Amino acid sequence: MSTTLLRTIQPNHFTLLGTALFRRNRTTTTSRHISVRCLGSQTASSQPRTAPKNHGSNKLDEILRDYEAVIGIETHVQLSTSTKAFCTCPNTYGSKPNTSICPVCMGLPGALPVLSSKVVDFGVRLGLALNCGLSLKSKFDRKQYFYPDLPKGYQISQFDVPIASGGYVDVDIPLEFGGGHRRFGITRVHMEEDAGKLLHSDTGDYSQVDLNRAGVPLLEIVSEPDMRSGIEAAEYGSEMQRIVRYLGVSNGNMQEGSLRCDVNISIRPIGQAQFGTKVEIKNLNAFSAMSRAIDYEITRQALLYNQGQADQIVTETRLWDEGAQKTVTMRKKEGLADYRYFPEPDLPEVILTQEYVDSIRASLPELPEAKRRRYEAMGLGIQDVLFLANDVSVAEYFDQVIGKGADVKSAANWLMSDIAAYLKNEELSISDVKLTPQELAELIAAIKDETISGKIGKQILFELLAKGGTVQGMIKEKDLVQITDPVEIEKMIMKVISESPKQLEQYRSGRTKLQGFFAGQVMKMSKGKANPALLNKILLEKLDAKE
Amino acid sequence: MATRALLAVLSASPPRMIQTKVSTFSSSSSLSFQRHSRRIARCFSSDTNPSVLQPPDVSRLAETARISLTPSEIEECGAKIRQVIHWFGQLQQVDVSCVEPAIRAEMEGGNLREDAPETFENRDSIRASIPSFDEVYLKVPKVLNKE
Repeated sequence: MSTTLLRTIQPNHFTLLGTALFRRNRTTTTSRHISVRCLGSQTASSQPRTAPKNHGSNKLDEILRDYEAVIGIETHVQLSTSTKAFCTCPNTYGSKPNTSICPVCMGLPGALPVLSSKVVDFGVRLGLALNCGLSLKSKFDRKQYFYPDLPKGYQISQFDVPIASGGYVDVDIPLEFGGGHRRFGITRVHMEEDAGKLLHSDTGDYSQVDLNRAGVPLLEIVSEPDMRSGIEAAEYGSEMQRIVRYLGVSNGNMQEGSLRCDVNISIRPIGQAQFGTKVEIKNLNAFSAMSRAIDYEITRQALLYNQGQADQIVTETRLWDEGAQKTVTMRKKEGLADYRYFPEPDLPEVILTQEYVDSIRASLPELPEAKRRRYEAMGLGIQDVLFLANDVSVAEYFDQVIGKGADVKSAANWLMSDIAAYLKNEELSISDVKLTPQELAELIAAIKDETISGKIGKQILFELLAKGGTVQGMIKEKDLVQITDPVEIEKMIMKVISESPKQLEQYRSGRTKLQGFFAGQVMKMSKGKANPALLNKILLEKLDAKE
Repeated sequence: MATRALLAVLSASPPRMIQTKVSTFSSSSSLSFQRHSRRIARCFSSDTNPSVLQPPDVSRLAETARISLTPSEIEECGAKIRQVIHWFGQLQQVDVSCVEPAIRAEMEGGNLREDAPETFENRDSIRASIPSFDEVYLKVPKVLNKE
């Protein structure tokens, strides 16, 4: 949508580029994999950037020795408001087609738009979360184009004065893709309305239109062209999803189209100052698809360069074909689309007061990046950190568990292993489970102070997850308190040994593996309550004792 | 509608005039570009004499507006559109250098609305007025991959 604007801003990068290239030349001794950040000086990362690993593909790694990809992303976020942006029609997904309509969103003569305060609220929230500067005065413009999903013949958007601009976002690249921390620039965030939905029937010579979505509020986030690989782009996209979910401005659901990413990508031989021809990729409905589409496109464009056919890379929109795992031409653009923007005369300017902005800033939740750094500072490994901070409800649950004084590492382990597996099997989310954070903390404490064994802990965990209840209640009800009295354990061991003379003989003649058999018998006798360490220690003594 | 038509006219001028285009349709907005965002202002900076407006390319204009015109209609429209553009050329000559640019007209008090849904009662008559309705959908000519 903002291709026009991106174009106009590009000349800035060319000027920055000169200095960046100079720096690159002076660092020729370092690996050519180190790509010097040359765009958007404000976003320059302090850490050296090594090219991320890409699905272990050698072919791609080879290409990236000679070429550099330049990737920018436009993200459309559908806002979870109760009404459309400029009228009071309900904003609900999945209603009967063409039922959420009124003269305003249908573009009937004389109807006037009135902006919902919630859209401004969400715009400010997202702008602040992306470290942007806010325009205390912004305005709406009309973007004109003819299409059947656009009843008015224009989209109300923001052109030259967006609500927020000049920010950045920090992401962590997962370890399996090389790890590391990146900062990507955010060019702008602006408010606009969505168009209707077009359905193209396979048969018949017509298309169908549903205008329930026409006028639904969107925030469009335009990134700087700072990404260099499919992994970086996918990680940027995931972070946008996390941020909008943390903020509660959108459900960020890609399948429903609540979060849509369009990727702009070009490649250029390393050392070349000029950008290559830019191709846009659409139809990316998962981050993994985004990553694969970009890697495919890098390979395709590099091949054309290598064959001396760089002129065949043309400005166009390509679609990601999930079945064929490749991008295909959707439409070639003949020159830049002319949207004939002009200020929307039916809407006043959007004025924010500093107090309003400050109050929203004060109400922002802890954001994913801050959470990750806090978890890291608590001593958790980066894999634990990324898992816990990925889902806002898991993070909140974890925070409540450790808020009750639970051991941090144990809490992380329970959530990442047994609880995560349970949720996956039962297809539940963390908010569906009956186990309260308070009780998980109790469970961890009960195991730590050896009231119950880890094994018993696991058993009651699943019961607590499914049925609820309290740890103390269950321990009492089922008489689960761990046996840590050596005398009592010894009694049981002696009984087992005396009942198994054959196994004892075999053990003493060298089949020491039979220790496991004895341990199992004792554990069975204790109904799983014997302290395993103590049990094994005493058992060994007794087995190895010469009569 | 008049504004829209006019914008179509202006944008249909030959490509060389892109810079003039913006400063033509609203001098105040071009000024506000400079005030609000210097990097954007750069591409709108206008050094052409605004009163010298190029005649419109009526064929391209018609295409932009998705209407077909016969050669004689093109000739007929051309003259009318030139008149309108000439009038804007006159407006363009007014000296506004001492006027503080405004993004939008100012309005008193709150102009936002609560986020409270309210279903429009008379939806049936909106749907009834759609010429081609196919059960629950609007029916339109197939538009796949066309811009």
